[in-house]
Amino acid sequence: MAELTPEQVGAMAAAVGLPVTPDDVAEVAHRLNALLEALGPLAELALATVEPVPALPDEPPLP
Amino acid sequence: MTPTAAEDLAFSSVVELAGLVRARKMSPVELVRAYLARIERLDARLRAYITVLPEAALEAGRRAEAAVMRGGPLGPPLGPLHGVPYAVKDQFDTAGVATTAGSRILEHNIPIEDATVVARIGAAGGILLGKLNLTEFALGGTRRFPFGQPRNPWNTDHDPGGSSSGSGIAVAAALCAASLGEDTGGSVRSPASWCGVVGLRPTWGRVSRYGSFPLSWSMDTAGPLTRTVEDAAFMLGVIAGSDPRDPLTSRRPVPDYSAALHDGVRGLRIGIIRELTFGAETDVEVREAVTAAARRLEGLGAAVEETSLPLVLLAGAIFMALADADGAGVHQHWLRTRPMDYDEGTRKRLLTASLIPSAAGQQAARARALLRAQLHAALAQYDLLLCPTAHQAAPPIAAGQAPITSRAEVADRFFTRRSYVTPAALAGTPAIALPCGFTSAGLPISLQLIGRPFDEPTVLRAARAYEQATDWARRRPPLG
Repeated sequence: MAELTPEQVGAMAAAVGLPVTPDDVAEVAHRLNALLEALGPLAELALATVEPVPALPDEPPLP
Repeated sequence: MTPTAAEDLAFSSVVELAGLVRARKMSPVELVRAYLARIERLDARLRAYITVLPEAALEAGRRAEAAVMRGGPLGPPLGPLHGVPYAVKDQFDTAGVATTAGSRILEHNIPIEDATVVARIGAAGGILLGKLNLTEFALGGTRRFPFGQPRNPWNTDHDPGGSSSGSGIAVAAALCAASLGEDTGGSVRSPASWCGVVGLRPTWGRVSRYGSFPLSWSMDTAGPLTRTVEDAAFMLGVIAGSDPRDPLTSRRPVPDYSAALHDGVRGLRIGIIRELTFGAETDVEVREAVTAAARRLEGLGAAVEETSLPLVLLAGAIFMALADADGAGVHQHWLRTRPMDYDEGTRKRLLTASLIPSAAGQQAARARALLRAQLHAALAQYDLLLCPTAHQAAPPIAAGQAPITSRAEVADRFFTRRSYVTPAALAGTPAIALPCGFTSAGLPISLQLIGRPFDEPTVLRAARAYEQATDWARRRPPLG
């Protein structure tokens, strides 16, 4: 994925009504780009058939 | 009482203190006074507490003392924690006492009832000393703490860990007998690790979340921080169990967590997580201490071998994509109406989480399920998994206060260290952090043991065996 610029991040925030300062936008862009980059390897996993179910409290115990 | 005797008393375990009170060898009032004196002497420097409750605690001490004196076979039954002073993270509601979640936004929030865990400790006879400092809204990454900068008792220039920062400090510095923290993605185990104490994350669903300020519904878990493993078992027994006010608590019966504590590790199979123990990100001194701990467990009779869980290296990022997005949902109103009332670090983290593309969140949720399956498969082969609690000992406070100026810094400051504690959070399994050494600079190093869902007894049993075979738990920070 192409890196998001601070201007794009500012526009995204404005589109969802989040008030951001110029200082916020610069750092949020670094954070968001880093997170999306860190999630990049997930594209290599066979996730299509995995159900996104979190832990449930009373599932059967492991053997 | 001499200063040495007062310090020895304050550093006593919960089990010891409860026994002294029950045997009428120690007045609960004197115990409260001993901890209040230490708070008065040390907390201006350490900033473990946001709110201290001297009058209420002394009054509770007097009531506890009266109950003990009326005791005996014909007297009122005493709870297991009767007369023992404790403290809770300021994320848990306390009736009539400010509950700030570490934020100016909730500075004037006075709950009308106790969180379930607070009510259960109170019903067991515990005496609440006060409310403990935390990273703002239990998120981590706070740069300017609204209620004072919490400091590591082993070196006050260093980070105590978070988000349950005060919960780790207060136990390490003996400013209470035990504390309660909340662990969404390591927030009990991280401060336990960097402050050199025991921190237990119970199985998700084992402990009620009712009355705890939320971060992520599928991972939030209250847990004890203590000076001994036995105390962690004791405290878990008090707080665990089904709660009609939290429909996601388990209805399984609560076992006696102290029953198997002394059974040792002979016959247990333990897998060392290769990626987290021997990976390039793990500090050399941490790796040496943790592998020495593994050898010690082997010497005690466990079968120990390496195992590979490749997905754990992605756990930090998966966690932040999911838990932070949950947090953004919790905070969406205040982010729009009171953005400048947040600490700068909190605000930027929540703003980032608000902009995560939903497709990335969906992929992260699926990857979480895969990671959970990988962890559970390993736990079908091994009774326990072992790794460091943190990749390094406590860093300087200043390292976490600087603005982020590059993508690479984000990975260093957020994803790497979270990959050590978030696998158990993402999988919903229990995990314990306990001291296993010190760096050459004198900072604590921590061992993590991860168990099967609801198998806290095995986690506690192995941790106790290791603790008893070493002297790390008996060391005290150099507070003067």
